Amino acid sequence: MKLKIDNLVKKYDGKIILNAMSMDIEDVQVLALIGASGSGKSTLLRLIAGLETFESGDIAINDDWMSREDIRDYRKKVGFVFQDHNLFSHLSIFENISLILEKVHGQKREVFTSEILSLLTYFGLDEHKDKLPHQISGGQSQRASIARALSIKPEIILLDEPTSSLDPVLTCEVLYAIKKLVDEKKDVILVTHEIGFVKHVADYVIFMDEGRVIEQGRDILSNPKTEALQAFLGKVLSFA
Amino acid sequence: MKNMRKTFGFVAALVIYCVFFYYVMTKDIGRAWNFEPFGAYSFFIFRGWLTTIYISFIALLLALFIGLILYLMEQTNFSILHYLAVIHKNIIFGTPLLVIAIVAYYYIGNAFEIRSKILVGTITLGLYIGAYVSDIYKGAIESIHINQWQTAKMFGFTRFKTYRYIVFPQVIISILPPLAGQFALTIKGSALLSFMGTSEYYNRVNNVIANTYLNREGFLIMTLGYLLITIPLIKLVRYLEVRLNYKN
Repeated sequence: MKLKIDNLVKKYDGKIILNAMSMDIEDVQVLALIGASGSGKSTLLRLIAGLETFESGDIAINDDWMSREDIRDYRKKVGFVFQDHNLFSHLSIFENISLILEKVHGQKREVFTSEILSLLTYFGLDEHKDKLPHQISGGQSQRASIARALSIKPEIILLDEPTSSLDPVLTCEVLYAIKKLVDEKKDVILVTHEIGFVKHVADYVIFMDEGRVIEQGRDILSNPKTEALQAFLGKVLSFA
Repeated sequence: MKNMRKTFGFVAALVIYCVFFYYVMTKDIGRAWNFEPFGAYSFFIFRGWLTTIYISFIALLLALFIGLILYLMEQTNFSILHYLAVIHKNIIFGTPLLVIAIVAYYYIGNAFEIRSKILVGTITLGLYIGAYVSDIYKGAIESIHINQWQTAKMFGFTRFKTYRYIVFPQVIISILPPLAGQFALTIKGSALLSFMGTSEYYNRVNNVIANTYLNREGFLIMTLGYLLITIPLIKLVRYLEVRLNYKN
């Protein structure tokens, strides 16, 4: 993937959340955004997805610059996995995917049915396809959410703290599902607090604090240079 | 055992009500009950009863549509439409239906030369109930979690498709209970259209009472006639509510 961000500024109620952020990343498959809560990493991910507006700056994925005019087309290239799975609560797991393919992407039912079924089987959800989101576990819901993001065949998949509301067993389930994406050579941007997992899968890591990139690189977790990152890792890995 | 106790409780409560009303009516009437003259008017009354169902049903359908339009108007950034809806709702919320029915028929209806009492009555009732229904929509739509909207936006749903496929299917479930109450109010409210001279149930039974001087019998028939519509309706909505809740 290629990700270019140029002087990005985001404010909420006048408060600066992202402060003139710039980055130029190439030849990365798994990019991880780490940092303490409130550091701006989820906001950055949502801006990259085109989910929120920003004050100034530019964002491009694979050299395609985001513009307000074709934002809907831009979003179609991005698969997004939310913190709380965000499955449509009135639809079955199968319908959660089929509705998007049919009504947004204009695909024919006879084409996508087998694709969805194989996707659900891939993520171990085939026997739950007709269940509603509240009838399955949090881990299964999050896997369904990953399957849904993958179903639109996006250029890039963004995951926003997909395990933050799960217990350790379910977290492990979801991390395995994400690992599958990585093994399939999908381009991924991941916001997470699972530093051990980041070490394992990410080939580029960005550490953020107070809306700024403090440190970035391919080996910053094994060789942190800034005091802020050293302190952060010291805290999150203190009982690892 | 639990069911038997519930049935007994229900029957006992019903008997208490019946005894109470029987006592009140018999004490007041000072003569034997006489339903016989109503036999001759049964078809006349039945047609009024059907008219009440017809007016209420059409008015509720109209109210569902008007309520949605009012809700959308209120939400729009186009300020004229927004305030048209706000003013409409304020007038409706602050004025008795009786006053609105009279103004609608004698002034608005006359001004636009609409002579059909049923048409004016149905539209009036639809506009009146529609204001309340718009608030039901508002409550239900605002109760849809922001996550659902965001996900729809993220996956490329247009605003229309978000409402059509994500929001409304969820809204329908939550508007059913308040809508049942609203439909019952519509049926009861239709009695006020008798002031326009609409040939609905209340008006027809009243006409028969005027001819026979059998007030108590007439009001008993009137009450039972309304209950015959509202109770099955409320039961039906409760059933649908349980079914849909189960499904979701």
